[in-house]
Amino acid sequence: MIPGVDYHQRYWEDVAEGEELAPVEDEITYRRVVMNPATTWDYFPGHHDPEYAKAQGQPTIYINTMHFLGFIDRLATAWGGPASFITRRKMSMRHSIYAGDTMVGQGRVVRKYTDEPGGRTRHLVELEITVENQDGQLCVPATVHLELPARQAS
Amino acid sequence: MATVDEGTGYEIAFGTFEEAKAMVGQATPVRFGRVEVNAPMIQHFSMMTEDANASYWDEEYAVATWGALVSPPAMLMVWLMPLEWDPEGSRPEPLLTARVPLPGTTFVNASTDTEFFAPMRVGDHLNVVEEVVDVSEEKKTALGVGHFVTTLSTYRRQDGQLVAKNTNVLFRFGAEEEGS
Repeated sequence: MIPGVDYHQRYWEDVAEGEELAPVEDEITYRRVVMNPATTWDYFPGHHDPEYAKAQGQPTIYINTMHFLGFIDRLATAWGGPASFITRRKMSMRHSIYAGDTMVGQGRVVRKYTDEPGGRTRHLVELEITVENQDGQLCVPATVHLELPARQAS
Repeated sequence: MATVDEGTGYEIAFGTFEEAKAMVGQATPVRFGRVEVNAPMIQHFSMMTEDANASYWDEEYAVATWGALVSPPAMLMVWLMPLEWDPEGSRPEPLLTARVPLPGTTFVNASTDTEFFAPMRVGDHLNVVEEVVDVSEEKKTALGVGHFVTTLSTYRRQDGQLVAKNTNVLFRFGAEEEGS
C-alpha cells in the first residue's frame, strides 16, 4: 500500500440509484493549463499562448479536452474504486475553463443495470457528471458508464 | 490546398464545403503511436489531474488487477500523439479533422463519445484508423461561422485487440462571416 493512493473499492450490489458522487474542486492556474501540452503532447496554442486565445475570441488560455476527460474519469473512478472500468463516456463542450477559473465536478448515479455483450455479464452504473466553473456555469455535461466488480458470481 | 498555419503550428487544409463532403467515408491507413503505454507518462498526466487511482500508481495492485499499470482512459489520444520534429525531418501528419478542406482558420472541440473495450496497459502499443463520418452544413455559433466535422477513430492494440472507438465532433470556424 502506497500512502495517499486510493484503494477503496465499491461493489455493484452496494450502489443505489440517485446516489451522489463526492464533488471535486480544482483550481486551474496558468501553470496547470500549461501542464496540458506537457502531459498530453497537445501543443495547440489555445492551451499555452494567451495572445492566440484572445485572437480566437477567448479571454485567455483554456484547458484541453483530455484534461476535461481526465477530470471526469477521476470523479467516476474515485467514486467507483481502482478496479472499476469506464466502458463509455460522452461529453460535450458548452463553455471553456480558463486559467484563473475553478473547475467544479459533481455527479450522481442515474441508472444501475447489467448487459451481456458476447455472453459476458457486465455490472454497470450510469453516472451523470457535470463540470462547472466557479460561477456555476455548466461547462461540460458528461455521461459515464462504469463497470464495477460484483460480489455475486456472474 | 494545405498550408501550415502560423498561429496553430498545425497543417490545416483549406477548401470548400463540397471538397470537405468528398472526404466523408475515407479512412486513413493504420498509424502506430510513437510510444508504448508507459508509467512515467501515466503518472505525469495523473499529476495534472491529481488522480490518486491505485491502478495508475501502485504496480503491485495494478498487476494483480489488470496485469500491469493502466492508463487513464482520458489518455487514449495521447498514445497516438506524433512528435513535432524528428531527425528525419518528417512533419507530423496533422489530425484528420485538420486535413478536411474547409474555409475556417481555427477549431475547437465540440463533443467526444468514447467506447472502451479493453484497458490500456503499460507495454501496449496502440494504433489508430481515422475516418471522416460527417461534415455539417454551415452553422453560426457564438464563436463564429463554420462547420462541424465528425470523425470516428478506432484504436487497436499491437495484437489486434480492439481497445476503443472514439467519435469526435469538432467546430472548424472563422471569426468572420464566410464568403466575406
